[in-house]
Amino acid sequence: MVQLTLPQNSKVQKGKTWPKPQGAKNLREFRIYRYSPEEKGNPRWDTYWVDMDKAGTMILDVLFYIKNTIDPTLAFRRSCREGVCGSCAMNIAGRNTIACTKGFDELPGGVISISPLPHLPVIRDLIPDLTNFYAQHAYVQPFLKTDSPTPEKEWRQSEEDRAQLDGLYECILCASCSTSCPSYWWNGDKYLGPAALLQAYRWLIDSRDEATGERLDDLEDPFKLYRCHTIMNCAQVCPKGLNPAQAIAKIKHMMVERVS
Amino acid sequence: MSGTPKADSRPLSPHLQVWRFHATMLASITHRITGVGLYFGTLLITAWLVALASGPDAYAVVEMVAFSIPGQLILFLWAVAILYHFANGIRHLVWDGPGLGFSPKVASQISIFNYAFAIVGAVALMAAAVLS
Repeated sequence: MVQLTLPQNSKVQKGKTWPKPQGAKNLREFRIYRYSPEEKGNPRWDTYWVDMDKAGTMILDVLFYIKNTIDPTLAFRRSCREGVCGSCAMNIAGRNTIACTKGFDELPGGVISISPLPHLPVIRDLIPDLTNFYAQHAYVQPFLKTDSPTPEKEWRQSEEDRAQLDGLYECILCASCSTSCPSYWWNGDKYLGPAALLQAYRWLIDSRDEATGERLDDLEDPFKLYRCHTIMNCAQVCPKGLNPAQAIAKIKHMMVERVS
Repeated sequence: MSGTPKADSRPLSPHLQVWRFHATMLASITHRITGVGLYFGTLLITAWLVALASGPDAYAVVEMVAFSIPGQLILFLWAVAILYHFANGIRHLVWDGPGLGFSPKVASQISIFNYAFAIVGAVALMAAAVLS
């Protein structure tokens, strides 16, 4: 359901302002979402001053700078720090992206807010619960399904057919797109969301897959696929430059072609 | 989402509260708002036609309302809504039919163009009506 405001227990209150680092020349203000299940009360915005000369070049470096030198209690997910694992996805300055590939020079001016991926239950600080997101990915059965006998070596594919998968297989499941989508915010329990649908399309057009009809059946529903209203936030934010909106449009085409 | 509200006391992360709108996002919600507006606009057309059928006295009332300042403002906004919904509707057809215009850059540019088209078009319509 559409609920434009946050529930009472989720309203973000003014938090603590942490001391400025000593002797820094190039200071920048960051406002970071903090929530701990052990502490009573609502989430809060804490203010940190970061010495940009010492913090590195990416937003993930800023988070490490804060954790190492100002506040060791700040919690966030990260792993590869080079844009292949998708762990450090979060909302930075009002847009979802992965912190490790977002450079300082790409930021808008003023105070930079960092919060968890939008419209998800928060476990702690910048860590949201992605259980539903992963369940939706599992729902589209992201693996090869065939009836033909398994060939002796590999399932072969022409170069042209393989090229169909470009712009789809690169998805790292960071959830930036799904949690950027207002349709997913309001109907995330029924609408599969851009990430899962991009993967659904990746298997629908795979020349080796033999379950196309079955896969389309699984998406034929007023909500699972058709809640996409081409708001385009998914394509706007994807840190890998993929286009889930276009993939969804192509699935809709396949649905129409199948009927006619 | 993953937990029911009762079992889940965890907060919901901020969404609209933190989001920096894209041109395409604004274009989408404007399409919906202007679409709803056009429903009410249809009532105005009906009122105009009913007045036309009812005779000069009824028509004079409609004319008075339409030429008042609030009436002119409503006509202007109505024109903006029709032109915007028309232009963006064509864009939706292009998305759904040939499947073009999905790159974020192009989609953003078309969104801005649609806004400009609606506002400039409505001003031109009003100007033409005043001059004629």
